[in-house]
Amino acid sequence: MDYVASTQSTSLDKSTIFNQLKAFITEVIGEEFIEDLDITPQSSFTKDLEMDSIEIVAFSEKVKAHFGSHIDFTGWLSNMDLDELIALNLQDIMTYIAHAHYSG
Amino acid sequence: MPIIPVNGLSLHAQEMNPAGGRTVVLIHGLFSNLAVYYFHIAPLLAQHHHVVMYDLRSHGLSQSVTTGYGLDTMADDFLALLDACGLNEVDVVGYSFGGLVALNCAIRFPNRVGKVAVIDAPDPADQRARDIIDIYSREFLENYLTNVADTTRMRMGKRQFEKNHRKYTFLFHQTSIKADMLADEHFLSEAPLGRIASCLLLYGRSSNCLHTGYALRERIGNARLKILEGDHNLPVQQPEQVGRALSEFLTPLPIAHG
Repeated sequence: MDYVASTQSTSLDKSTIFNQLKAFITEVIGEEFIEDLDITPQSSFTKDLEMDSIEIVAFSEKVKAHFGSHIDFTGWLSNMDLDELIALNLQDIMTYIAHAHYSG
Repeated sequence: MPIIPVNGLSLHAQEMNPAGGRTVVLIHGLFSNLAVYYFHIAPLLAQHHHVVMYDLRSHGLSQSVTTGYGLDTMADDFLALLDACGLNEVDVVGYSFGGLVALNCAIRFPNRVGKVAVIDAPDPADQRARDIIDIYSREFLENYLTNVADTTRMRMGKRQFEKNHRKYTFLFHQTSIKADMLADEHFLSEAPLGRIASCLLLYGRSSNCLHTGYALRERIGNARLKILEGDHNLPVQQPEQVGRALSEFLTPLPIAHG
């Protein structure tokens, strides 16, 4: 089981979140494939990063483990229809985490 | 969770709402993984239940092995998972081939399985799936992705294509999957399905498996057949309707007082 310590930080800026999400993506799809990818906040999970559904599950579990139980990440994803999930990009998640962190 | 040693291999499992009510175990189909439930159906069921979902052997993030694709070994994996998780009695939902696994679990382990919901399970006597194993090649996958209408609307890039091709090549050419499927071909006609006490059958109106839904309703006796708009990809096409139907079936109605 992968283990990621929950963050104790009280200030989460978007670049910190972005770098953490990028690290999770690298863990999930592997270093060898990351070299060919230009990961930006606008990168979409399915089209740009070519992540399949089980890789997005693994990514989601890492987000939940790291950013804490006060962020209902799976619940947020479950409100999206298939088109929204396909179009989901890193910026969407950064905005969600930052908002949920400060309002949580 | 999420990696659990079961029957000499490692299975990937996820759970939602561990403090919830009665446990529901969700079983996916062949060539799929637990993600078919994870994003919509599982969170909906987790409003009232403890939900456990796992990747079958050689699927998703579970360990790849060369044998054990028959319904009995799959049911053994299920039982070992219940034991490993300390789960005594559960309800079960199975999609496609996972629906056949769920029925087999209910027949073999009546003290561990209560309600059973089956989503668009095929008849294993239908040899079309086995035929694909014989003709599978890289060109077959390219042709399939180009020409067959993909009702799930998920597109596959180069990395995913190679990943899937490796997985199918392994399953079709290096494992016992075809022989195991053949050995289960008479499951629906031979298994004592009448023993199953409580069963919901969810099928897509346009599914090429719908006739199996009618046959199962006859064989199980008190099963309820509910037909939703969609084809065999029902859980991806209609996750809310599938989730609602499952929730109504699995969640007991509150007892009226006064």
